[in-house]
Parts: sequence; structure tokens; C-alpha cells
Amino acid sequence: MFDIDNGLSLDEKLAILSDAAKYDVACTSSGVDRRGQKGMLGNSCAAGICHSFASDGRCISLLKILMTNHCSYDCKYCKNRKSNDIPRATFTPEEICTLTIEFYKRNYIEGLFLSSGVLGTPDNTMEKMCEALRMLRTTYRFNGYIHVKAIPGASQELIYSAGLLADRISINMELPTQDSLVSLAPNKSMTTILKPMNQISETIAQHRVAIGKNALMERAGINRHLVNSIFGTDAAQQKLENTGNAYDGNKINSRGDVNNTGRADNDISIPLQKTSTMLMNPAEAIDARLKRPFAGAGQSTQMIIGATRETDLELIRTTQSLYKSFDLKRVFFSGYVPLNEDDVLPSLGTPVPLLREHRLYQADWLLRFYGYQADELLTEENPFFNAQIDPKCDWAIRHLDQFPVEINTASYDMLLRVPGIGPTGVKRIMSARRYSYVNFDMLKKMRIVLKRAQYFITCNGKMLNKIPLEQQFITRCIANDEQKDNLLITQPKEEYHQMNLFTDFAPA
Amino acid sequence: MTVYTCEPNLEAMLSCIYDAWASGKGHRNIRLALEPVGQYSFMDEYIHVDEDSDKARKVMDAVCLKISQHVYSELTYTGMAYEEDALDNIYHVMILGFAYGPNVLDMVHYKDVMRNREIRVRLEKEVCGFKDFTRFHEVKKSVYVAHIEPKSRLLPMLAEHFEDRMPSEHWMIVDDIHKEAVVHPKDEHYYFWKLNDEEFEQLLVTENENDEYTDMWKTFFDSIEIKERKNIACQNNLFPKWKRKHAVEFL
Repeated sequence: MFDIDNGLSLDEKLAILSDAAKYDVACTSSGVDRRGQKGMLGNSCAAGICHSFASDGRCISLLKILMTNHCSYDCKYCKNRKSNDIPRATFTPEEICTLTIEFYKRNYIEGLFLSSGVLGTPDNTMEKMCEALRMLRTTYRFNGYIHVKAIPGASQELIYSAGLLADRISINMELPTQDSLVSLAPNKSMTTILKPMNQISETIAQHRVAIGKNALMERAGINRHLVNSIFGTDAAQQKLENTGNAYDGNKINSRGDVNNTGRADNDISIPLQKTSTMLMNPAEAIDARLKRPFAGAGQSTQMIIGATRETDLELIRTTQSLYKSFDLKRVFFSGYVPLNEDDVLPSLGTPVPLLREHRLYQADWLLRFYGYQADELLTEENPFFNAQIDPKCDWAIRHLDQFPVEINTASYDMLLRVPGIGPTGVKRIMSARRYSYVNFDMLKKMRIVLKRAQYFITCNGKMLNKIPLEQQFITRCIANDEQKDNLLITQPKEEYHQMNLFTDFAPA
Repeated sequence: MTVYTCEPNLEAMLSCIYDAWASGKGHRNIRLALEPVGQYSFMDEYIHVDEDSDKARKVMDAVCLKISQHVYSELTYTGMAYEEDALDNIYHVMILGFAYGPNVLDMVHYKDVMRNREIRVRLEKEVCGFKDFTRFHEVKKSVYVAHIEPKSRLLPMLAEHFEDRMPSEHWMIVDDIHKEAVVHPKDEHYYFWKLNDEEFEQLLVTENENDEYTDMWKTFFDSIEIKERKNIACQNNLFPKWKRKHAVEFL
């Protein structure tokens, strides 16, 4: 155990510890609606608020910092691993609180995202993180959003405390299979990740039931209309069976492999007692007296892509299982940025798999908002997403027998499967359909992307243009349209700006 | 054509709608516009309408009782937008509302309703932008002042948002374009203030008072970026330059 105060100023510490935290993807402040209170600082908005955008285009919503970047683990992919020689620093709880409060008052941030390297033992780290959060919630009376990372291997009581103090709690899965975890993160195991994930999930469900809510997290309203949705009635049924029924129904086994048949997998080797699935007591009684819901905004996780050899199909199946089994609110993907040199890792200078990450997020959206299932998007024979066209167009082109759909009569499910129409578009079409026939002009005004949708829809029996419904033709047209967007993702260009006579042509 | 014009505030707008309606000249022959009118036309007759609380109340009651409270609030929301045709649009949607009732805002096959929706969607985006990108400066101990330069008059929405967010702080948001301000004393309700030139000049200097936390925010902003993923086009798209005028991280 080391406790180093190397005389760094707060500014220097912030530079080191925010730089160390930036590879964590999650920066959302969404999922919980909470009004402000007199005498306290802050509220929370369910849609989340982005306060700025960094020059990599990612939103800055929370003060994303590590408590410390000292780490006793040696995960090969991580910048803060033990064997790296980098400047190290540790925040005191007071410093974390002051930064959060002062930034919040200036409207720079929506709350705090607190993660940490493993300082000594997981328990020691988690305890210090809880101490900072407790101080923020009680002494500083902060009522804004907090996202906390649970350290794998920390004890139940501490995770319970963290969940009561924060709005969202997450454990990074990092790698979707046990084999890749063994090769890249020797100090972690699937058990230390999945067990607390399951416990958190059960505790959230129990807390929700206790205050009269449904055991499952709220999902986008559109899912109510979708028969095939992963959050549909069968998911609810499964969760109900799971709550209080320990681990039996989960579809991820201890090796992290996904049960492809979709049936309950009883081959679980995690030594779990039925009673142990819910976290039992918070570490400090005061945390329970704050009367906050346990992780009101749910839990999330992230997976690194491009560091190991997993296929997109494996990733997206794991994602679906995480949503269904653990009722996760979000699964984030993090394109691997090569930071360390190692035989088992991609070499330094390997480009970040931005397009692949983008496709996975698109697929994730299709699971959560469009009623798709993982197995519809990819197959064993074709386990990677098409780089040229997005997964939804790809699906539509492979199922041309179901198109074109008539805008004025189609169901929610079918409308959502038309490329170019999203949940908002469907709602607009549905409300407009009650009063008149919808035509292409109206669709355009409703911001439906006719560029893509035109191949798959008819309005009052007519298509927009005379188009042959042929796979090759449509693929070519769409790939051509998307080429520019794909290039912008893979090779972002330098900035362009409007030329100005006075600044651009001024004599030196 | 007769053009009825009025000051850009809610009461005047409702009075203007009342006068236009009562004129009996036929809906097709009149237009409503906000002052200052950009380009006058020789062919049109311009009539200025002063604000009148009685007339405004009558219009408000008529909309609330005969259409619905919801439509009234959506129409007043539209009234905050900077679009030149916003007032005219409100008038025409109101006419449709009296004919069809509370569901009028869903009848997007009428071009006025569709236009109304477009205006509201754009305004909503602008309001969200300023909820995100407004930056406060600490001027004295625990007094926070922010400057914004929005296109529309969105102070009421921002005031509501920030009152909930920081109920126990002294803060103030100054709209530099419309020379208005919202003032929120600690633990009290906010109020609006029309700024005169002297007050405005005084308030302009508040942004010079950067403190250590502003510098730390800049440090954070720079270090949180992943260089390997640099994508300025994406940043510009999500954080347009016209909204950055007071965002300290870009100054």
C-alpha cells in the first residue's frame, strides 16, 4: 500500500487523472429525472445533457476522472497498468468534491464520472471512492448526476454503498470472453466481473419493486409497440423468473460464452448461493439513510473492440444477452487505441477501428430501439458487419421480399425496419396517418431520409421514383450514397471554414 | 394586404392577434409581423398594435377554453422563436384550432401546422443548445453571471431550467442580443429585467473575471480529447461555432 503526495497542484493532478480516464467511453448523464431541491445543488434530466464536445467529437457531459492512476493490476491494453512508467497522482476526496461543485456551478458539467486504478486492493480503492461520493452527497449537498465504476473484486457492502450514492454504476467487461480476458487482463476473471454485475442487477430490480415500479428498467417507449423487441414480454417474464431465482435463467455462463440457442443455460460454475444474488448491506448506515434509489439510472458496461479476435456476431450476441439477462441500460464499445507494446496486442500505430465501432453502435441501437434481434443482423457464415452499408440497410436488402411497405398502412414493426425511418419518424407518421394520407412531401418535412427510404416504401401505392427492386442495384445505390459518410468516419478531414477577407488574407 | 405589427412580447402578440381577428378583413387579406419589420412594402398597409392586457386575456381564454391548454402553451412557445413568420403562423394555426379542436397540432397535412412543428423543433434544439453551452462566471464570491447570444428569446426556458438546477445560488443570465436578463437571488424566485445601456455596459465586463476553475476546465477540456480519434468536423457539427461565443474552453 502506497500513499504518495508528490506535491502536484490540483491543476496538474486534473491533467494527469482526466487524461488517464479518457479511454472510458461512458459519458452519459441520462436515465434519471430528478428535480432540484432548495439548499442543494443540482438536478438530473432523463435525456442527459452534453455540455461540450471535445475535438474528437465525443461529448463531455461529466467530469470524467480517475480517483487515482496508481494501479496494482497489469492489464496489457491499459495505459495505467503497473508496468508503465507514467506520471501518477491521486485525488483526495475534498479535491474531487471541490472540482465537481465548482465546475457544476459554472455549468461546465452535469455531474461526476468517477473511476479509479486499483490502489492496493479493490476494497481499499472502492472504500476511498465511496468516501468521496459520500462527502459529495452529504457535506457538499450535491444532487446532480454521479456515475461510478465498481472495481471488480470489491466487497458487496462497498458496491452497495456506491450504488446508493451514485445514479449509475458500471463494471467494465472490457473483453467478452474468458480466453481474451486471460490473455490481456490476467488479474481479472469473468467471475469477478459477472458476479457483481448480476448482484447489482438484482439489487436494482429489488429496489424498483420496493417502490412500486416494474422490476425492469424503463426502455424507449417505442418498444411497447414492437412484437420482436429484446425488451418485450418474454424478457420481462424472464426477469421476473430471475428475480429471487438466482442465476439460473441467465444466458451467459461463467466463461462468458453466449448460449446461442436462447434457452436457459444451467451450466453455471459460479459458486452463487440463491440468497447472495442481492447485495445485502451498505458499508455505512448513513448511505441507506439518504433514501436514494439504488443506481436509479441502472448499470452499464463497456467492451474493447479490435484488441482481440472476437467477431462482431459474438460482440453483438453478448450485448443482447447483457441487456436481457442483466437488464443493463447501455453497453458501450470502445475502439482500441494502441497505447502499449505487447506481442498479443495490435502494434502501435494501428488505426483505431472507428468504422467497426460505429457499425456496432448502429447495431446496438437496432437492438434497443428498432426491435431487431442479434441473430437477424449477422450469421455464423457472415459474422462481421458490412463496411460499406449500415446494418439496417444490409438487413433490408437481404429481405427484399418484405418490401416495399405502404407507409399509410404498415405496422410499427415494419415501418421501423425501413432504412431512413427511425422511432421519431414512425411516431410522426403514425400521428399524421390519423388525419390524412401521408405523401412524399410530408415525409420529407417529417425529416424521413428519403435518400435511403425511397427504395423500400410506397405512398398510396406509388414509389417515389421508378426503381427496380433488385438486390445488386439497391446495394450499389446505397453504398454509393454512404461512401462519403464512411470516409468521414475513417479518415476525418481537417477543418474547413468560411473564408474571411480580413482574417484569411490579412498581410502578415 | 394589411399587416398588423407589434412588439415582440407575448401580451402584444396576443393583442395583435385580437385586432387582426376583429378587423373582419378576411384571413387571407391580413398578415401579422413582429417589429422591427425588416422590409416594408408599398402595396401593404401597416397597422401597429399596442399591447393591451384585456385583449390578450380574451385571446388566451378563447384558446384555452375552445381549443386546449396544451395548444395554448405550444403556441406561446412558438412565439419565442426568431422566425419572421412565427406570429403569422400562430394566427393561422389558431384559426385551424378553432375549427378542428385540440388535435390540431397533429394535422400536419395543413402547411401551417407543419410549419409550426418545424419552428418548434428548431426552437427546441436552440433551447437545448443554450441549456448545455451557457457558461457562468463567478464575479464576486458566489455570484454567477452568464452571457448568451441566442437567436430567439429563450430566457424564460433557461430561467426555469437553471432555477431547478441551482436553487440556492445567486445567478444571472444576460441575453446580449435582446438586452434582457434573468436574475435569480438565492432561495428566491427568479425575475426578468430589461437592461438599459448603462447596466448592459456594466455587465459586459463580467466575462473578464476568469478564475482558477475556468483555467482548470480548459486543462480538462484539452486532456480529455483522444488525439488518435481527432474529428473536428464532428465537433463542429455537434457544437456549432455560433453557439461558442461565450464557451470559455474555446476562448
